[in-house]
Amino acid sequence: MFTSRSDLPLDKDALSRFLPWLIAFMVFLAVLAMAGMLVLNSTASRWDQGISGTLTIQLIPTDDPEEDDERLQKVLSIIAQTPEIDRYETLSDDRLLKLLEPWLGVTEGIKDLPLPRLVDVELKAGAKLDADALNKRLQAQVSGVGVDDHRIWLKRLVRLIQTVQGLATLVLVFIALATIGTVVFTTRTGLAIHREAIEVLHLIGAQDSYVARQFASRALMLGLKGGVIGLALALPTLMGIGALARQMESTLLPDVTLGLAHWTVLAALPVVVSLIAMLTARLTVMNTLSRML
Amino acid sequence: MTTDDNGPIVRFENVGLRYGLGPEVLQDVTFSLAPGSFHFLIGPSGAGKSSLLKLIYLAMKPSRGLISLFGRNIQSTPRGDLPAMRRRVGVVFQEFRLLNHLSAFDNVALPLRVAGARKSDIQKHVVELLSWVGLKDHLDARPPTLSGGQQQRVSIARAVISRPKLLLADEPTGNVDDRLGIRLMHLFEELNKFGTTVVIATHNSHLVEQMGFPKMYLDEGWLEMVGGGNEKPTSDARGKDPSEEAEDDPPKDDDGDSLLDLEKLI
Repeated sequence: MFTSRSDLPLDKDALSRFLPWLIAFMVFLAVLAMAGMLVLNSTASRWDQGISGTLTIQLIPTDDPEEDDERLQKVLSIIAQTPEIDRYETLSDDRLLKLLEPWLGVTEGIKDLPLPRLVDVELKAGAKLDADALNKRLQAQVSGVGVDDHRIWLKRLVRLIQTVQGLATLVLVFIALATIGTVVFTTRTGLAIHREAIEVLHLIGAQDSYVARQFASRALMLGLKGGVIGLALALPTLMGIGALARQMESTLLPDVTLGLAHWTVLAALPVVVSLIAMLTARLTVMNTLSRML
Repeated sequence: MTTDDNGPIVRFENVGLRYGLGPEVLQDVTFSLAPGSFHFLIGPSGAGKSSLLKLIYLAMKPSRGLISLFGRNIQSTPRGDLPAMRRRVGVVFQEFRLLNHLSAFDNVALPLRVAGARKSDIQKHVVELLSWVGLKDHLDARPPTLSGGQQQRVSIARAVISRPKLLLADEPTGNVDDRLGIRLMHLFEELNKFGTTVVIATHNSHLVEQMGFPKMYLDEGWLEMVGGGNEKPTSDARGKDPSEEAEDDPPKDDDGDSLLDLEKLI
């Protein structure tokens, strides 16, 4: 597939010098888009795993704390009789206040607010619980109770992540198309510049694949060179974004840490782009030469 | 790929050629070249000699008529089979068409590389041949640094390196003096002795008369075979006694392959 020498002076073409930088830019963008996609993917799956096996039961407070305690006990006894539930825990007032802190701040005043009672429920592994049925059962016996299985939250979140992932995929597709277009253009220009030499090769019996191999090898080498430059520029950028995200320490931001598998995928991008460049160059040459006698 | 080795090397039947919508530059050209024959293609400038050669070395398709090369009809031959046929044809182009970015060595090595020859064989044969044509000291020289005559010899070496069955030369003596022109002709004659069919397009009528080979006369697109036609020329046609043939035979190399004693000729 690869030739160490070339019968055509492809390395002297101005476009050949320009191509690695263009590919470097493409790979830079591709690495960022791909990294974003991988982070979102793992975040979505973490959220999905964390949320899908849990329920939250909320009890609206009344003016009478004793009555609230009675209602809570009724709720807990119903939960205890539900076979799909593994464990449950009533959140203390301190934890409730902690959850409200990001929105209301730390003030003495919020302790006087009527806080709902929340019961954190964890389902047995693999258990399918009909949240609506449980909700109806609870409401039939206790007033002011509601079951939240996080479905709405999860659906919206998944939809958001899917949209962003779709955009990232679109960016990757555009990058691939731009790379293909650039390689087609540079290859066609190379074919035009070296038309005379290619014609001589043809007339002395060179197969189309012989000429195509020279263009393909050149595109592969330039692609690899550009790809490595692009990756080298993208890695510090990613690390910088990661460091910034960690500094913010926000619970709202997803974890932007990339695993070994993610880094492997990113490191493979220059190779993939080079292979695309090589195949494109080969197909372009084969297609163009097929019109010659 | 199947070819008819006993039939004519080249056969044209009512071949016509026109460029675009222009007039026909070749009209009803009909001829055949027997294996081992030697012909001069002559005619005034613009008669269509180069076009005729282009059709033979498969650089163009005819507008009409039938062309067969090595017994195969070109029009019905799959495109993928044409490179193998081209490898059996050596061409000395009028304007040399050497690749200026490659050394003389690499230019001559091209046909062998294209055919997938081994590196060691390429090295051996190319150095040998370039030495024979007197360019041993110019192996690494690029064509622009060589004189017209030297470029001509590189071009000829490239055409004969793969021992073609058919050798076509377009004005091969156009850029060299008469003395070198005659030497080059003797080189082609030597190749012809080994069975290579040779067609040489030239304006040099003196040379044509001196060599005495049959002529293909082309004028305004019409071809006429003069003096001998398709048969292999006898030594008489070259003005020699047949008994001299054996003495003229070039030496053979260690492998038993006949090699041309070009050094003597150039």
